[in-house]
Amino acid sequence: MAGERNAAPPAPQRVRYDGVHAADHPPSGGSPNGPGSLADAELVGLAAAGRRDAFEELVRRHADRLYAVILRFTGEPGEAEEVVQEAFLRAWRGIDRFERRSQFFTWLCRIGLNEAKRRAGRSPAAEPLSVEEGALEQTADFTHAPEPRAEQHDLREVLERAVRALPAGYRAPLILRDVEGLSTEQAAGVMGLKEAAFKSRLHRARLTVRDAVDAYLTGDDA
Amino acid sequence: MRLREMRPRFMLDHMFTGRHVAEYLDGELDVRGRDRLEHHAHLCPSCRRLVATLMQMLEGLHGLRPTSRETGSPISEAVIARLRDEPG
Repeated sequence: MAGERNAAPPAPQRVRYDGVHAADHPPSGGSPNGPGSLADAELVGLAAAGRRDAFEELVRRHADRLYAVILRFTGEPGEAEEVVQEAFLRAWRGIDRFERRSQFFTWLCRIGLNEAKRRAGRSPAAEPLSVEEGALEQTADFTHAPEPRAEQHDLREVLERAVRALPAGYRAPLILRDVEGLSTEQAAGVMGLKEAAFKSRLHRARLTVRDAVDAYLTGDDA
Repeated sequence: MRLREMRPRFMLDHMFTGRHVAEYLDGELDVRGRDRLEHHAHLCPSCRRLVATLMQMLEGLHGLRPTSRETGSPISEAVIARLRDEPG
Protein backbone atom coordinates (compact mmCIF):
# COMPACT_ATOMS: atom_id res chain seq x y z
CA MET A 1 0.00 0.00 0.00
CA ALA A 2 1.28 3.40 -0.86
CA GLY A 3 2.40 5.46 2.07
CA GLU A 4 0.45 8.52 1.03
CA ARG A 5 -2.75 6.58 0.51
CA ASN A 6 -4.24 7.70 3.81
CA ALA A 7 -4.21 11.23 2.49
CA ALA A 8 -6.18 10.32 -0.63
CA PRO A 9 -9.61 11.83 -1.15
CA PRO A 10 -12.39 9.45 -0.11
CA ALA A 11 -14.03 7.52 -2.92
CA PRO A 12 -16.06 8.11 -4.98
CA GLN A 13 -14.95 11.71 -5.18
CA ARG A 14 -13.29 12.37 -8.49
CA VAL A 15 -10.26 14.52 -8.95
CA ARG A 16 -9.35 16.44 -12.05
CA TYR A 17 -5.87 15.86 -13.31
CA ASP A 18 -5.06 19.52 -13.32
CA GLY A 19 -5.28 19.16 -9.54
CA VAL A 20 -8.81 20.60 -9.16
CA HIS A 21 -11.42 18.56 -7.30
CA ALA A 22 -14.49 18.39 -9.47
CA ALA A 23 -17.49 16.39 -8.39
CA ASP A 24 -19.22 17.24 -11.64
CA HIS A 25 -16.28 16.33 -13.79
CA PRO A 26 -17.33 13.76 -16.40
CA PRO A 27 -16.19 10.18 -15.84
CA SER A 28 -13.41 8.51 -17.78
CA GLY A 29 -13.07 9.34 -21.42
CA GLY A 30 -15.31 12.36 -21.24
CA SER A 31 -12.67 15.06 -21.03
CA PRO A 32 -9.07 15.65 -21.98
CA ASN A 33 -8.43 16.26 -18.27
CA GLY A 34 -10.10 13.03 -17.09
CA PRO A 35 -8.37 9.77 -16.27
CA GLY A 36 -9.47 8.42 -19.63
CA SER A 37 -6.97 10.74 -21.28
CA LEU A 38 -4.00 9.40 -19.29
CA ALA A 39 -1.74 6.52 -20.21
CA ASP A 40 -1.68 3.46 -17.99
CA ALA A 41 1.76 4.36 -16.66
CA GLU A 42 0.52 7.76 -15.52
CA LEU A 43 -2.53 6.22 -13.86
CA VAL A 44 -0.31 3.70 -12.10
CA GLY A 45 1.81 6.54 -10.77
CA LEU A 46 -1.23 8.37 -9.45
CA ALA A 47 -2.69 5.18 -7.98
CA ALA A 48 0.60 4.46 -6.23
CA ALA A 49 0.30 7.91 -4.67
CA GLY A 50 -3.09 6.89 -3.31
CA ARG A 51 -5.39 8.16 -6.02
CA ARG A 52 -8.17 5.62 -6.02
CA ASP A 53 -9.94 7.27 -8.94
CA ALA A 54 -6.87 6.66 -11.09
CA PHE A 55 -6.92 3.00 -10.14
CA GLU A 56 -10.62 2.84 -10.90
CA GLU A 57 -9.84 3.99 -14.43
CA LEU A 58 -7.34 1.13 -14.72
CA VAL A 59 -10.12 -1.21 -13.59
CA ARG A 60 -12.45 0.14 -16.27
CA ARG A 61 -9.78 -0.32 -18.92
CA HIS A 62 -8.64 -3.80 -18.04
CA ALA A 63 -11.37 -5.67 -16.13
CA ASP A 64 -13.11 -7.11 -19.18
CA ARG A 65 -9.89 -8.32 -20.75
CA LEU A 66 -8.63 -9.85 -17.52
CA TYR A 67 -12.01 -11.52 -17.04
CA ALA A 68 -11.73 -13.00 -20.54
CA VAL A 69 -8.30 -14.46 -19.77
CA ILE A 70 -9.33 -15.86 -16.42
CA LEU A 71 -12.63 -17.23 -17.71
CA ARG A 72 -10.77 -19.03 -20.46
CA PHE A 73 -8.41 -20.40 -17.84
CA THR A 74 -10.98 -21.51 -15.25
CA GLY A 75 -13.99 -22.22 -17.46
CA GLU A 76 -16.23 -21.06 -14.59
CA PRO A 77 -17.83 -17.59 -14.89
CA GLY A 78 -18.49 -17.20 -11.16
CA GLU A 79 -15.00 -18.31 -10.24
CA ALA A 80 -13.50 -16.05 -12.90
CA GLU A 81 -15.36 -13.04 -11.53
CA GLU A 82 -14.13 -13.74 -8.00
CA VAL A 83 -10.58 -14.15 -9.26
CA VAL A 84 -10.77 -10.87 -11.18
CA GLN A 85 -12.07 -9.01 -8.14
CA GLU A 86 -9.37 -10.49 -5.94
CA ALA A 87 -6.69 -9.73 -8.52
CA PHE A 88 -7.62 -6.05 -8.66
CA LEU A 89 -7.80 -5.81 -4.87
CA ARG A 90 -4.32 -7.32 -4.62
CA ALA A 91 -3.08 -5.00 -7.33
CA TRP A 92 -4.49 -1.99 -5.49
CA ARG A 93 -2.95 -3.07 -2.20
CA GLY A 94 0.40 -3.67 -3.87
CA ILE A 95 0.46 -0.95 -6.53
CA ASP A 96 3.40 0.81 -4.92
CA ARG A 97 5.43 -2.40 -5.28
CA PHE A 98 4.75 -2.58 -9.04
CA GLU A 99 8.16 -1.79 -10.50
CA ARG A 100 6.75 -0.78 -13.91
CA ARG A 101 9.25 -2.78 -15.90
CA SER A 102 6.28 -4.44 -17.56
CA GLN A 103 2.90 -3.14 -18.64
CA PHE A 104 0.18 -2.85 -16.03
CA PHE A 105 -1.98 -5.47 -17.76
CA THR A 106 0.91 -7.94 -17.84
CA TRP A 107 1.41 -7.51 -14.10
CA LEU A 108 -2.32 -7.78 -13.48
CA CYS A 109 -2.53 -10.98 -15.54
CA ARG A 110 0.21 -12.53 -13.48
CA ILE A 111 -1.66 -11.72 -10.26
CA GLY A 112 -4.90 -13.08 -11.72
CA LEU A 113 -3.43 -16.31 -13.04
CA ASN A 114 -1.60 -16.93 -9.77
CA GLU A 115 -4.85 -16.43 -7.90
CA ALA A 116 -6.70 -18.76 -10.28
CA LYS A 117 -4.02 -21.43 -9.86
CA ARG A 118 -4.07 -21.02 -6.10
CA ARG A 119 -7.82 -21.54 -6.04
CA ALA A 120 -7.63 -24.46 -8.47
CA GLY A 121 -5.11 -26.11 -6.17
CA ARG A 122 -7.69 -26.10 -3.38
CA SER A 123 -10.34 -28.00 -5.31
CA PRO A 124 -10.24 -31.39 -7.05
CA ALA A 125 -9.92 -30.99 -10.80
CA ALA A 126 -10.64 -33.17 -13.77
CA GLU A 127 -7.65 -35.10 -15.07
CA PRO A 128 -6.03 -32.87 -17.69
CA LEU A 129 -4.79 -33.97 -21.07
CA SER A 130 -1.19 -35.09 -20.98
CA VAL A 131 1.29 -33.12 -23.03
CA GLU A 132 3.76 -35.34 -24.81
CA GLU A 133 7.31 -34.47 -23.89
CA GLY A 134 8.43 -35.50 -27.38
CA ALA A 135 5.82 -33.37 -29.05
CA LEU A 136 8.35 -30.84 -30.31
CA GLU A 137 9.57 -33.32 -32.86
CA GLN A 138 6.17 -34.69 -33.71
CA THR A 139 4.92 -34.76 -37.25
CA ALA A 140 1.85 -36.86 -37.84
CA ASP A 141 1.95 -39.29 -40.72
CA PHE A 142 -1.13 -38.39 -42.68
CA THR A 143 -1.25 -38.50 -46.40
CA HIS A 144 -4.03 -36.06 -47.14
CA ALA A 145 -4.52 -32.43 -46.34
CA PRO A 146 -7.34 -31.78 -43.88
CA GLU A 147 -10.80 -31.61 -45.35
CA PRO A 148 -12.80 -29.08 -43.39
CA ARG A 149 -16.02 -30.84 -42.51
CA ALA A 150 -17.09 -28.48 -39.83
CA GLU A 151 -19.01 -25.39 -39.14
CA GLN A 152 -16.80 -22.81 -37.50
CA HIS A 153 -19.00 -23.05 -34.44
CA ASP A 154 -18.13 -26.74 -34.00
CA LEU A 155 -14.43 -26.06 -34.36
CA ARG A 156 -14.78 -23.43 -31.68
CA GLU A 157 -16.26 -25.99 -29.31
CA VAL A 158 -13.47 -28.44 -30.07
CA LEU A 159 -10.90 -25.75 -29.37
CA GLU A 160 -12.62 -24.67 -26.16
CA ARG A 161 -12.63 -28.26 -24.87
CA ALA A 162 -9.05 -28.92 -25.89
CA VAL A 163 -7.76 -25.71 -24.29
CA ARG A 164 -9.64 -26.38 -21.07
CA ALA A 165 -8.23 -29.91 -20.93
CA LEU A 166 -4.61 -28.73 -21.05
CA PRO A 167 -2.65 -28.79 -17.79
CA ALA A 168 -2.58 -25.31 -16.22
CA GLY A 169 1.09 -24.74 -16.99
CA TYR A 170 0.40 -25.22 -20.70
CA ARG A 171 -3.08 -23.70 -20.83
CA ALA A 172 -1.95 -20.27 -19.65
CA PRO A 173 0.73 -19.74 -22.35
CA LEU A 174 -1.73 -20.72 -25.08
CA ILE A 175 -4.44 -18.38 -23.78
CA LEU A 176 -2.08 -15.45 -23.32
CA ARG A 177 -0.28 -15.80 -26.64
CA ASP A 178 -2.75 -17.33 -29.08
CA VAL A 179 -6.12 -16.21 -27.75
CA GLU A 180 -5.33 -12.86 -26.13
CA GLY A 181 -2.57 -11.97 -28.55
CA LEU A 182 0.07 -10.91 -26.04
CA SER A 183 3.60 -10.84 -27.43
CA THR A 184 5.94 -13.67 -26.50
CA GLU A 185 7.85 -11.26 -24.27
CA GLN A 186 4.71 -10.10 -22.46
CA ALA A 187 3.26 -13.58 -22.07
CA ALA A 188 6.56 -15.02 -20.84
CA GLY A 189 6.66 -12.14 -18.35
CA VAL A 190 3.20 -13.02 -17.06
CA MET A 191 4.28 -16.63 -16.61
CA GLY A 192 7.59 -15.66 -15.02
CA LEU A 193 9.44 -17.74 -17.62
CA LYS A 194 12.40 -17.15 -19.88
CA GLU A 195 11.28 -16.75 -23.47
CA ALA A 196 12.84 -20.04 -24.56
CA ALA A 197 11.05 -21.98 -21.84
CA PHE A 198 7.83 -20.17 -22.62
CA LYS A 199 8.10 -20.98 -26.33
CA SER A 200 8.74 -24.63 -25.56
CA ARG A 201 5.61 -24.86 -23.42
CA LEU A 202 3.57 -22.93 -25.94
CA HIS A 203 4.62 -25.21 -28.77
CA ARG A 204 3.77 -28.35 -26.80
CA ALA A 205 0.41 -26.89 -25.91
CA ARG A 206 -0.23 -26.01 -29.55
CA LEU A 207 0.63 -29.49 -30.73
CA THR A 208 -1.66 -31.02 -28.14
CA VAL A 209 -4.58 -28.81 -29.12
CA ARG A 210 -3.72 -29.36 -32.76
CA ASP A 211 -4.17 -33.09 -32.22
CA ALA A 212 -7.71 -32.43 -31.04
CA VAL A 213 -8.37 -30.24 -34.08
CA ASP A 214 -6.88 -32.84 -36.38
CA ALA A 215 -8.98 -35.62 -34.87
CA TYR A 216 -12.02 -33.44 -35.34
CA LEU A 217 -11.21 -32.60 -38.94
CA THR A 218 -10.70 -36.24 -39.81
CA GLY A 219 -13.75 -37.38 -37.89
CA ASP A 220 -11.77 -39.34 -35.27
CA ASP A 221 -13.08 -37.35 -32.35
CA ALA A 222 -16.32 -39.24 -31.80
CA MET B 1 6.05 -42.46 -46.03
CA ARG B 2 8.39 -43.76 -43.31
CA LEU B 3 11.32 -41.66 -42.23
CA ARG B 4 14.01 -44.27 -43.04
CA GLU B 5 12.74 -44.55 -46.61
CA MET B 6 13.15 -40.86 -47.24
CA ARG B 7 16.17 -39.42 -48.97
CA PRO B 8 18.68 -37.76 -46.65
CA ARG B 9 17.93 -34.20 -47.76
CA PHE B 10 14.23 -34.80 -47.47
CA MET B 11 14.73 -36.25 -43.99
CA LEU B 12 16.81 -33.28 -42.89
CA ASP B 13 14.16 -30.88 -44.14
CA HIS B 14 11.49 -33.00 -42.47
CA MET B 15 13.28 -32.70 -39.14
CA PHE B 16 13.91 -28.99 -39.73
CA THR B 17 10.19 -28.46 -40.27
CA GLY B 18 9.26 -30.27 -37.06
CA ARG B 19 11.78 -28.24 -35.08
CA HIS B 20 11.00 -24.84 -36.58
CA VAL B 21 7.31 -24.88 -37.34
CA ALA B 22 6.57 -22.82 -34.21
CA GLU B 23 8.94 -20.06 -35.34
CA TYR B 24 7.41 -20.25 -38.81
CA LEU B 25 3.92 -19.76 -37.40
CA ASP B 26 5.05 -16.83 -35.27
CA GLY B 27 6.82 -15.16 -38.18
CA GLU B 28 10.18 -15.54 -36.46
CA LEU B 29 11.88 -17.70 -39.08
CA ASP B 30 14.27 -15.96 -41.45
CA VAL B 31 13.59 -15.92 -45.19
CA ARG B 32 15.89 -18.85 -45.91
CA GLY B 33 14.32 -20.98 -43.20
CA ARG B 34 10.84 -20.03 -44.32
CA ASP B 35 11.59 -20.99 -47.91
CA ARG B 36 13.09 -24.28 -46.77
CA LEU B 37 10.08 -25.13 -44.65
CA GLU B 38 7.56 -24.14 -47.29
CA HIS B 39 9.40 -26.04 -50.01
CA HIS B 40 9.47 -29.14 -47.84
CA ALA B 41 5.80 -28.78 -46.85
CA HIS B 42 4.97 -28.60 -50.54
CA LEU B 43 6.62 -31.99 -51.07
CA CYS B 44 5.70 -33.69 -47.79
CA PRO B 45 2.02 -34.44 -47.12
CA SER B 46 2.67 -35.03 -43.43
CA CYS B 47 4.30 -31.63 -42.89
CA ARG B 48 1.81 -29.89 -45.17
CA ARG B 49 -0.92 -31.23 -42.96
CA LEU B 50 0.91 -30.28 -39.78
CA VAL B 51 1.35 -26.69 -40.92
CA ALA B 52 -2.19 -26.43 -42.29
CA THR B 53 -3.87 -27.72 -39.13
CA LEU B 54 -1.69 -25.59 -36.88
CA MET B 55 -2.57 -22.50 -38.90
CA GLN B 56 -6.25 -23.42 -38.80
CA MET B 57 -5.98 -23.96 -35.05
CA LEU B 58 -4.31 -20.58 -34.49
CA GLU B 59 -6.98 -18.86 -36.51
CA GLY B 60 -9.61 -20.62 -34.42
CA LEU B 61 -7.89 -19.74 -31.15
CA HIS B 62 -7.75 -16.10 -32.11
CA GLY B 63 -11.48 -16.30 -32.77
CA LEU B 64 -12.06 -17.47 -29.19
CA ARG B 65 -11.30 -13.98 -27.97
CA PRO B 66 -14.62 -12.86 -26.50
CA THR B 67 -16.66 -10.17 -28.11
CA SER B 68 -17.80 -7.23 -26.04
CA ARG B 69 -21.20 -8.85 -25.78
CA GLU B 70 -19.72 -11.90 -24.02
CA THR B 71 -17.95 -9.72 -21.51
CA GLY B 72 -20.69 -7.13 -21.34
CA SER B 73 -21.36 -7.82 -17.68
CA PRO B 74 -20.48 -4.90 -15.42
CA ILE B 75 -17.41 -6.64 -14.06
CA SER B 76 -15.54 -3.36 -13.68
CA GLU B 77 -18.37 -1.88 -11.62
CA ALA B 78 -18.37 -4.91 -9.31
CA VAL B 79 -14.61 -4.54 -8.86
CA ILE B 80 -14.91 -0.81 -8.18
CA ALA B 81 -17.63 -1.45 -5.60
CA ARG B 82 -15.28 -3.88 -3.81
CA LEU B 83 -12.45 -1.36 -4.02
CA ARG B 84 -14.56 1.31 -2.40
CA ASP B 85 -15.12 -1.03 0.55
CA GLU B 86 -11.38 -1.19 1.04
CA PRO B 87 -9.89 1.08 3.68
CA GLY B 88 -8.37 4.17 2.09
